[in-house]
Amino acid sequence: MPVVGIPIDRLRRLLGSPVEVHEMVRGLQRMGCDIEGFGTLRRFKCRVCGFVLERTQTEADPGYCDNCLADFATSEAVMPLPPVEVLRLELLAVRPDMFDVGGLARALRAYLGISPGLSTYHLDPPRMRVTVHPGMDVPGCSRPAIGCAVIRGVQFDDDLLKEVMRLQENLHWALGRDRRRASIGTYDLSTISAGVAYRPVEPEELVFRPLGWQDAATPGRILREHPKGRAFAHLLEGFVRYPLLIDDRGQVLSMPPIINSEETKVTTTTRDVFIDVTGPRIEIVSRCLNVILTSILEFSPGARGEQVELVHQDGTHLMTPDLMPQEMVMDLDAARKLLGIGVSDEEAPGLLSRMGHHAEPAGRSRLQVLIPAYRPDFLHQRDLMEELAIAFGYDRIWPTLVPTMTVGQPHPEEGLAAEYRGILTGLGLTEVMTLLLGSEETHYAAFGLPTPEDAVLIANPISQEQTLGRTWLMPGLMETVSRNTSREMPHRLFEVGHVLRVDAAEETGVRQSLRAGIALAGPAIGFADIRSVMEALVRETGHGLCVKPLSRPYYIEGRAAGILNDSGEAVGEMGEIHPEVLERLKLIQPAAYGEIAVG
Amino acid sequence: MSEPRSYTAVEAKIIGALRARPNDTEVDELAVAVGEPHPHVAGTLRVLADLGIVGLREETVTEYQLGPKGKGLPSGMLPERVVMVALAARGRIALRDLEAATGLAQKDAGRALKPLESKGFAVREGGDLVARGVLAQGQTPELMEHERLVAHLAGGGSGMRPALSAVGIDVDRALAELEGRGGIITTKERRRWWARLTEQGRALREEDMVVRQTVTALDTGLLKDGSWRGVDFRPYDVGLASRRLFPGKEHPLRRVLGDTRRVFLDLGFTEVTSPLVESAFWDFDALFQPQDHPAREMQDTFYVQRPERASLPSAEVVRRVQRTHEDGGDTGSIGWDYRWNRAIAERVVLRTHTTAGTIRALADNPRPPRKIFLVGTVFRREAVDYKHLPLFYQVDGIIIDEHASFASLLGTLDAFYRKMGFERFEFRPGFFPYTEPSVEVFVWHEAKKDWVEMGGAGVFREEVTKPFGCSVPVLAWGLGLERLAMFRYGLESIRDLYLSDLAWLREVPLCR
Repeated sequence: MPVVGIPIDRLRRLLGSPVEVHEMVRGLQRMGCDIEGFGTLRRFKCRVCGFVLERTQTEADPGYCDNCLADFATSEAVMPLPPVEVLRLELLAVRPDMFDVGGLARALRAYLGISPGLSTYHLDPPRMRVTVHPGMDVPGCSRPAIGCAVIRGVQFDDDLLKEVMRLQENLHWALGRDRRRASIGTYDLSTISAGVAYRPVEPEELVFRPLGWQDAATPGRILREHPKGRAFAHLLEGFVRYPLLIDDRGQVLSMPPIINSEETKVTTTTRDVFIDVTGPRIEIVSRCLNVILTSILEFSPGARGEQVELVHQDGTHLMTPDLMPQEMVMDLDAARKLLGIGVSDEEAPGLLSRMGHHAEPAGRSRLQVLIPAYRPDFLHQRDLMEELAIAFGYDRIWPTLVPTMTVGQPHPEEGLAAEYRGILTGLGLTEVMTLLLGSEETHYAAFGLPTPEDAVLIANPISQEQTLGRTWLMPGLMETVSRNTSREMPHRLFEVGHVLRVDAAEETGVRQSLRAGIALAGPAIGFADIRSVMEALVRETGHGLCVKPLSRPYYIEGRAAGILNDSGEAVGEMGEIHPEVLERLKLIQPAAYGEIAVG
Repeated sequence: MSEPRSYTAVEAKIIGALRARPNDTEVDELAVAVGEPHPHVAGTLRVLADLGIVGLREETVTEYQLGPKGKGLPSGMLPERVVMVALAARGRIALRDLEAATGLAQKDAGRALKPLESKGFAVREGGDLVARGVLAQGQTPELMEHERLVAHLAGGGSGMRPALSAVGIDVDRALAELEGRGGIITTKERRRWWARLTEQGRALREEDMVVRQTVTALDTGLLKDGSWRGVDFRPYDVGLASRRLFPGKEHPLRRVLGDTRRVFLDLGFTEVTSPLVESAFWDFDALFQPQDHPAREMQDTFYVQRPERASLPSAEVVRRVQRTHEDGGDTGSIGWDYRWNRAIAERVVLRTHTTAGTIRALADNPRPPRKIFLVGTVFRREAVDYKHLPLFYQVDGIIIDEHASFASLLGTLDAFYRKMGFERFEFRPGFFPYTEPSVEVFVWHEAKKDWVEMGGAGVFREEVTKPFGCSVPVLAWGLGLERLAMFRYGLESIRDLYLSDLAWLREVPLCR
């Protein structure tokens, strides 16, 4: 989860009421935020694009602009700004309405009781019109959903600009799933005309100047050459035409979800802003638009929101954004039972208002709840019950136990594994725990074996040491011996654990079985030592040891045996380890090994 | 007057030997005389001294011994003597032939020249060494003082300073001659002890002394004929270190896993197991995690290349899960509003949480009341550092019960952490795709003076339980166990648990 620094001063100003820092922190924690701590952020402004970069006290100065990649080392392109005290907060992916200082202030105002209940926003009637081309919802160019809004009278400064950009970035991550489900554009309204079209464009049909470039380029070239184009080209895979926003005079606003145009970008002199959100589905696009619009209105006092008229080819006119609250009925009896708390009918509406909702009684033990339009995560009345619990306070919930009597029952396999461990520790052996993953080299080649055909292979390993699931315990045990040659010998180790093998007969395609492995190493250790241990183990589990000679590349020829169960099936093996293997493991003491199926 | 006392055989022998020697007797000599090991005689003398029978006198004497170089000299002959012998025979030796003529190493031969020249036995002429004085007459001079010392020691003579004086060796002069030639003679300070009988000791009459035998080990012979009654047992120095033993032990993490199992068994839970290699269906889809959820991405989850596909449960179950994802089905939810893809659910993963096991158990039998738990390994695609490993242990549990509530979830977690020995913990809101309400458990870390997150819990969403035919509340939790072990054993890095440093495994006390 990304961690953001929220400027404490600004947050306090937006709360509109004197609140101590520890009260803010406590409030945010009780709402479920992870506060990582406090810090001072050093800030740098890029003179090329106006972007503000933030660095912690311990991080190095920026070498180039994170946004436009301008080089800071050789030019006068960077200007230091005064540092700022911040609250370091891990973003809560499910609460995009609390990603920025405005949204956090709104949530805290309600939770701390400064202004509980639904936050409402007045929207002026539309003066902008966006025409949606029917070719936006066809195979080869499909990004049909769009929502737009206008904000007038924003007093931008470096901080506010930074806040908008960061919010946009974080919404792309959380709601947009890296722009796939929603991508946001913001523009200086004064640079575009009142009529805008959202329409498909051929890859080489026209040119425009993408952010950060001096020259205009075709959409096709931008996808191939611009850093952002290359980074997000996969989102337009399969598109034969690309979605563009173009105004009546032919000024390109952007190519969603890739990049905006340089001419229309928001700067500190911008007063009026045009916003668009596009994506495959309208529900997410709308939520995203509502979040960004209301957050900007929250942190830029004096600004006014304004709707935009969307005209579709079939003649339908639609006004966006739609900030109508979502309605939901909550059954309070069900909530009390689920939560196990005695919250009364009278108390409940007040609690929900502290989470920013409006609730009214709708019959006995039922509440009619209005959920703000910027809250995207209400699928079920259960979601409201959680809001009720959070407002009530988890620390006020009295912990109880279910009254139903049940009898504890261990799993037979786990019980058996515990028996094996008991026998082996009783024999004076030390248990080790090694990783279930290994590599072809360490698990097979080191023992002169080919990788088994039925080893479970990982498609996306994170390191070369862990590319497959282990099929035997020997590699982990012998590696432990090898790593401990400086410790007092002899080593007498064991592990009881799972091994994995591909088996088409199993539901998941893999058979997992429990095995016990024993490694002995030290002066004069030999076959007789491992045989004694294996014999004792088999005897203690209620059987007799039955062996037959075995030949394996990792055992000395003539000093290894297979172990058979009472029905004559091979269930294990033991032997004196071949000097070649010892040499590979850098061991200068003899060693012996045994392994047997548990059960 | 002390109590009458019986004497051990060694005590009696020592008193007897001292009675025969009117002068102070050195302990070494006494040990030889009574035929007992030196430490034993010394120890016994101290006991007798405490009784006032024996008087002890201690003296520190310097002892000279041959050093490593001195021991290597052939029959105690120093290089200068070797050169003298050769020169006496030949009268003149070319310096370049010196090594061959004497058999000495170049360095040693070179060293020998200085004392010869300073004493006037030889001079250098051109490239030759020419004999002078007695050497020129074909005779070798008397041994110099340092040669005498070396020869005396090489011949096994005592190196004690008084002994050397007695044979007329001037040690100081000899050492001065050897100055700058380390390794030939070493000096050592030695303590010497002398004993004699006191007046009280002399007054003891042999016939009055009751003598008992002292034995070291009690053996079968002594026990069989009862002769142990007539002997004393040599007292031991009980403060001496004995051999360190280490019991066969379970791994410290295993003990935490075992304690965890015991707590849930005590609380009336039934243990289950589930596949480590799991279908995405049970790991994600059954838990209402949308198929484009970030946790399902390749960068966080290990996907399996062989085998490639897992089979899914019955068509009916799959259909219900699919509908819940798409539009909520009959769960009262609006779902995630997308097209569910069977192929994605059939992919094989290394299970990312043990909740895959508890949801299987729920699907298997959703009829309340049930309490189920599972301790096992889970996998996350994380690079190894002090906080992260690609796999770790979790305990997952569910309670299917019509009386279950969020309050009883908190109570169960409370009971678990209390039984595991924690006193300060806190519940804070958490957010997981498959539970609502959700909670995160934090435990107070006294050393770090901070809250540490231990795991998550919640009430399963109806989108999770209803497709499997369960209509009562289901409480669920998944708690990490490595951190509990790190707390208990004071470890800083999670890797320490798996490195299996045998020194640590042996030393770490079982009881914590």
